[in-house]
Amino acid sequence: MTAAKVFRHETILAVLTVIAMIVLASLSDKFFTVDNLLNQGRLMAEVGLISLAMTFVIVTGGIDLSVGSILGLTAILLGVFWKNVGLPLPAAMFLALACGTFAGWVNGFIITRFSVPPLIATLATLALYRGLAEGISEARSVRGYPEWFFFFGQGEVLGVPFQLWVLGIATAIAAVILGLTPFGRATYAIGANEVAARFSGIRVNATKLWIYTASGFCAALAAVIFVSRVTTTRSDMGTGLELDAITAVVLGGTSIFGGRGTIIGTALGLILIQALKNGLALSGVKGDGTIVVIGLVLIGAILVGALFDRNRGG
Amino acid sequence: MSVAALSPGRTNLHRFLSGYGQEIVVALSIVALFVVVGAVNQRFLSDTNINSIFAGNAYIAIAAIGMSMVIIAGHIDVSVGALIGVIATIAGTLAVSGYPIWVAWLVPILFAIAVNAGVGALVAYTRIPSIVVTLGMLSILKGGLISATAGEWISNLPPEFMIAQMRPFGIPSAVWFMVALTIIASLFLRYTDFGRSIYAVGGNMEAARAAGINPERTVIGVFALHGLFAGIAGILFATQLQVIQSTVPPNLELTIITASVIGGVSILGGTGTVIGSTLAAILFACIGSALIFLNVSAYWLRAVLGLMILATVLADMVRRRRDT
Amino acid sequence: MRTEHIGDAAASGAGLPIELRGISKSFAGIKVVNDVSFDMRPGEVHALMGENGAGKSTLIKVMAGLYQPDEGQILVNGAVVRFTSPKDAHAAGIATVHQELLLFPELTVAENIFLGQTPKTSFGTIDWQTMRQRSRELLDSLDSGDLDIDQKVAHLSVGNRQRIEIARALAQDARVLIMDEPTAALAEHDVQRLMSIVRNLRKRGVAIVYVSHRMPEIFALADRVTVLRDGHLVATKPISEVDEPGLVSMMVGRSIDRLYPAKQGTDGDVILELTAVSHRSVVRDISFKLRRGEILGLAGLVGSGRTETALTIFGITPATQGQILIDGKPVSITSPEGARDLGIAYVPEDRAQQGLIRPQSIEENIALANLKRLTRGIFVDAAKVAAEARNAITRFGIRARGPDQLVRQLSGGNQQKVVLGKWLATNPRILIMDEPTRGIDVGAKAEIHQLMRKLAGEGMAILMISSELPEVLGMSDRVLVMNGGRIVGEFDKDHATAEAVGTVMTRSYDKEQAA
Repeated sequence: MTAAKVFRHETILAVLTVIAMIVLASLSDKFFTVDNLLNQGRLMAEVGLISLAMTFVIVTGGIDLSVGSILGLTAILLGVFWKNVGLPLPAAMFLALACGTFAGWVNGFIITRFSVPPLIATLATLALYRGLAEGISEARSVRGYPEWFFFFGQGEVLGVPFQLWVLGIATAIAAVILGLTPFGRATYAIGANEVAARFSGIRVNATKLWIYTASGFCAALAAVIFVSRVTTTRSDMGTGLELDAITAVVLGGTSIFGGRGTIIGTALGLILIQALKNGLALSGVKGDGTIVVIGLVLIGAILVGALFDRNRGG
Repeated sequence: MSVAALSPGRTNLHRFLSGYGQEIVVALSIVALFVVVGAVNQRFLSDTNINSIFAGNAYIAIAAIGMSMVIIAGHIDVSVGALIGVIATIAGTLAVSGYPIWVAWLVPILFAIAVNAGVGALVAYTRIPSIVVTLGMLSILKGGLISATAGEWISNLPPEFMIAQMRPFGIPSAVWFMVALTIIASLFLRYTDFGRSIYAVGGNMEAARAAGINPERTVIGVFALHGLFAGIAGILFATQLQVIQSTVPPNLELTIITASVIGGVSILGGTGTVIGSTLAAILFACIGSALIFLNVSAYWLRAVLGLMILATVLADMVRRRRDT
Repeated sequence: MRTEHIGDAAASGAGLPIELRGISKSFAGIKVVNDVSFDMRPGEVHALMGENGAGKSTLIKVMAGLYQPDEGQILVNGAVVRFTSPKDAHAAGIATVHQELLLFPELTVAENIFLGQTPKTSFGTIDWQTMRQRSRELLDSLDSGDLDIDQKVAHLSVGNRQRIEIARALAQDARVLIMDEPTAALAEHDVQRLMSIVRNLRKRGVAIVYVSHRMPEIFALADRVTVLRDGHLVATKPISEVDEPGLVSMMVGRSIDRLYPAKQGTDGDVILELTAVSHRSVVRDISFKLRRGEILGLAGLVGSGRTETALTIFGITPATQGQILIDGKPVSITSPEGARDLGIAYVPEDRAQQGLIRPQSIEENIALANLKRLTRGIFVDAAKVAAEARNAITRFGIRARGPDQLVRQLSGGNQQKVVLGKWLATNPRILIMDEPTRGIDVGAKAEIHQLMRKLAGEGMAILMISSELPEVLGMSDRVLVMNGGRIVGEFDKDHATAEAVGTVMTRSYDKEQAA
C-alpha cells in the first residue's frame, strides 16, 4: 500500500469532517463554540480510547465485541472494591484497571490458544463480562465518590478537559506504535497475511495477545473516566459502545478484513461521528435518532470500501 | 433392506447417539434440572411455573430456529433482538389503529422478511461480514424504534389480537407454535434441497458451488427465512403481555444465538439441528427460573449464558482440532 | 507425430467419450498448453504425464469445464461442445476426483455422494431411504462395503474420502473420470485398493484420465500414456511401446548439464546436522549432514515429506523426536523466529500464501524478517529499510519501479527475488529453498539458479527442495530422496541420474521394506 493511497482516504475523511462542521455550525449557532467543542471532546474520550485499541484489533483482521462489557465490569469492580471491600480508592482504581486488562488478556488467550474466531470469542465474553457485572452489582449502583475522584472525568488542565489530554496522548502513542515501530509493522503483516507473517519470523500469537490485552486496558481506562464523569457506577455502563468504536475505526478507513488502517483515520472517524451526534442533537434530532445515523454511516462506509476493493481488483 | 444393514458394525442406537449427541445432552440437562430443582423447591414444578417457562419463552425458541439456519449457513445476525422489538411495535400500532387483526399480524412478518432478505443480499453479494452488516442494522432498528415511539407503551390492545394468550386444547398457543415450527423446520432442513443446500453452503462454499448450488441465493433465502421466524416470534412476543413496551428487549439476540450454539449448531457453520436450539431455549428458560427458585440472584443469568457459550465454543474447537 | 495422432483419433469414430483437438490456453501471455490433442476411449486408463508446469493440470481443467480453451475444440461423442462451467462438463459425463477433495465434512457419506442430485419421493422431498440404499450399492460396487454411509465425512481418512468422490462421480453416470494425482496423499494399502477400484471402473466401461508421477502405478494400470512437456504434446503411445527410462526422457527431454551453472569452490565444514529427527508421522527418522558451500537437493514426490522436513527445521512444526545440531552443537528450534536467530532462512514453496504479503510494498516485505536489525531505538528506521530494499533490488535485479512498489504487481520471478532478498538480508548461514523456481519463467529461473550457485560459492549451505527432476539433478551437489516421510536414497553428483533418482522416488515402499 502506497502512502498516497492511505492519505487519499484520510484526506476525503478530513474534507468530509470539515464540511460536516460547517453545515452543523450553520444549523445551530451553539455548535461552533469553544464550550461546546470542549464538551464534545469530553464525551468523545471514552469511545476514543477504546477505538484506538480497536484499530489495532481490526488491523490484525480481528474484532473485539466485548469492550463495552469490559467497561461495565471495570466500573462495577471499581465501586465494589472501594465501597464493599473497603479498599482505598486509588487501590480500587488500580485493581479495577488490572481486572479490565486481564479480561482483555483472556480474550486474547482464547483467540490465540484455541483458535476461536475473535468474533465468537468476544461475543461470548461480551455476555460473560456483562453478566459478571450484573451478578456482582445485582443492579445496585455505587455513589458517593470523594470530590478529588471527579477530576478524571470533570476536571480541566490548562482549560482543556482532563480526559481530552489522556485521549490526545494515547492517540499520539498509538499512532507512533502503529505507524513507526516494529510492533506496528507486525500488526499490519498479521492482518494482511497471517501465514506469511509467521513464516517471516513474526511472533503472531504474542502480538495478538498484546493487542487484545491492550484493548481490555483501554476499556478499563475508559471505565474509570466514565465513572468519574457521571459520578456513579452502574452495571449497564458502556452497553453498545463496541458499535460506536467499530464504526469510528471502519469509518476511519481501516479495512474490516485486516491489513489496512491508521490511527489518524480513526481519530478523524471519531470526530466526524461525534460532530454528527452533537450537531443532530442541537438541531433537534432526539438522541436515539443519531444511533440510526451511525448505523447507516457504518454500513455505508464499509459498502464504499468493499466496492473500492473490488474495483481495484483485489 | 433394513436400516441396520446399511451401516455395518453400528447399531441404530449408536448412530442416534452420535448424530444427536448435543441434543441429548441438552434434553437430559432439562430433565435433571426439573428433578433437582423440583426436589429442592416443590413450587418449581407447579403448573404456573411450567406454563411460564414454556409459553413465556416459546418466542425465543422460534427465533432460534431461524438463527440456527443462519449460523448453519456460516453467518450470524446480531440484530434479531432489535428486529423483534420493531415487529412487536409495528404489530401493536396496527392493532390499536383499527386495522384488521390479520393485517396487524401479517404486515410486521412481511416487513421482517424484507429487512432480512436485504441484509442477506448485502452479505451475499458484497462479502461484507454478516456481523458488521447486522451490527449496523441493530443500531438502525434500535435507534429507529426509540425515536419513532419515544419509548411510549402501547396498551388497550384488542383481545382478539392476543394470539399468544389463546389456549387451543388447553395448551398455550405459543407452545403449539414452538412445537409445530420446530417440527416443520426440522423436516424442511432434512427433506428439501434448499434445506440441504444450507448445510452445504455453510460447510464448504466452493464445493457447494461445484455441486451446482448457488451460494448467494442460498444465503439470501436463509436470511429471508430467518426473517419469517423472527416475525412470528415478534408477534408472539407482542401478544404475550397486555402492553407492548416499544423497546428492544435487552440481550435478546444473545439469548437467541446462545440457544442455537448450545443446541449443537457449530459457530463455524455446516452443522446443527433446530431441535437442539429449541431444547436449548427451553433449558435457558429453566435455568432462569431455577435461579429464582434456588434463591440465587437472577442477575447471574447472563454470566451463566456467557460461560455456556464459551464452554460450547471451546468444546467445538477442541473437537474439530481432534478430527483433523 | 502430432498430425498423425489426430488422424488416428478421428478415424477411430464418433463414439469417443471425450476428444480434444488442438487445444491451446494462455495465462498472462504465456502459452501453458500449446496445440495439444488428446482423446479417451471407453474402458481405458489413459495416463497423462509430464513435469510440473508441463500443462497437465491446465489440460485437465479444460476437460472439466473450469477453463475455456483459447483455441481448439472439445468433442463429446463426436459432436463439438463448449463447456462454460463445470456443470456443462458434468452433464456431458465428465467428472473429476480432485486433489483437494471437495467434500462437505459435516454431512454424511450418503449425502456427499448425492448432494445436488438427490433422489426424490413423489412429494418432491428428499428420499433418504433410496439415497442411502443407492449409496450403499455404489460403495459396494467399489469394494467399499466397509464404509459407513451414515458417518460424517469429517472423520474419514483421505483414502475413504477419495472413494466417496469416485462414488459421487459414478452417481452422476460419469463416462470419463479424471483422477489428478490420486495416490499422492494415500497410504500404501489405500493405493492398492485404489488400483483395484480403477480396474473395476475400466471393466464397467468408464474412461479414466490418470495423472500420476509414480511409474509402478502407470505400468500396472495404464493402457495408453500421453506425455506433455512445456505445454506441448510429446507423444501418445500404448503402454506396451514404452519403458520407464523412455518415459522419463520423454518427460525431461533436454540435456541437463548445459542449463545449470557449475559448482564453484569446495565444500566446507558441516554446519547443519539432523539425527533421527521426526515430526509426528509425516517426518520420520531423518538424518543428514549439510556442509558450507554445498547445495543439497531433496527430491521426492508431493507428499513424500520434503516440505514437512523443511518446516521442522524451520520451527513451524517443531521436531517431536531426534536432534538438530548447528556447528556441532545441539539446538532446540521451536519457532520460525528461533530458526531465524540461529541463521536459518526458509524460502517457502507457496509464495503467495507463505512467502509474501502481497498487498504490501517491496520494502515492507523485505523489512519483515529483519525488523530487529532495521530498528533504531524503538522506531523502524525508514531510511535503513529503504536502503535495504534498494540494495536487494540492485543485487538481485528485481525489476520494479522502486522500493515502494506493491509486491502483487510484480511478476512471479521478481516476487521470488523479493522473498530471497528478505531472507538474505537476515544474513543466514543455512538457506532452505522449497521449489525455488516454481511458476516463474525460464529467464528468471536461470537467474535464480546462478544466484544459488554464487551464494554456495560464498559459503552458504543450501538445502533445495524441488519437484522438477532436472532442477534437482542439475543444481545439487548431492541428492537425498524422500518417500513416505523417510530418506530412502542418497546419490552424489556423479551417480544422480534421472532414472536412478526417479525410480527411488516413485517406488511404492511397503511399510516393512522402508523401515
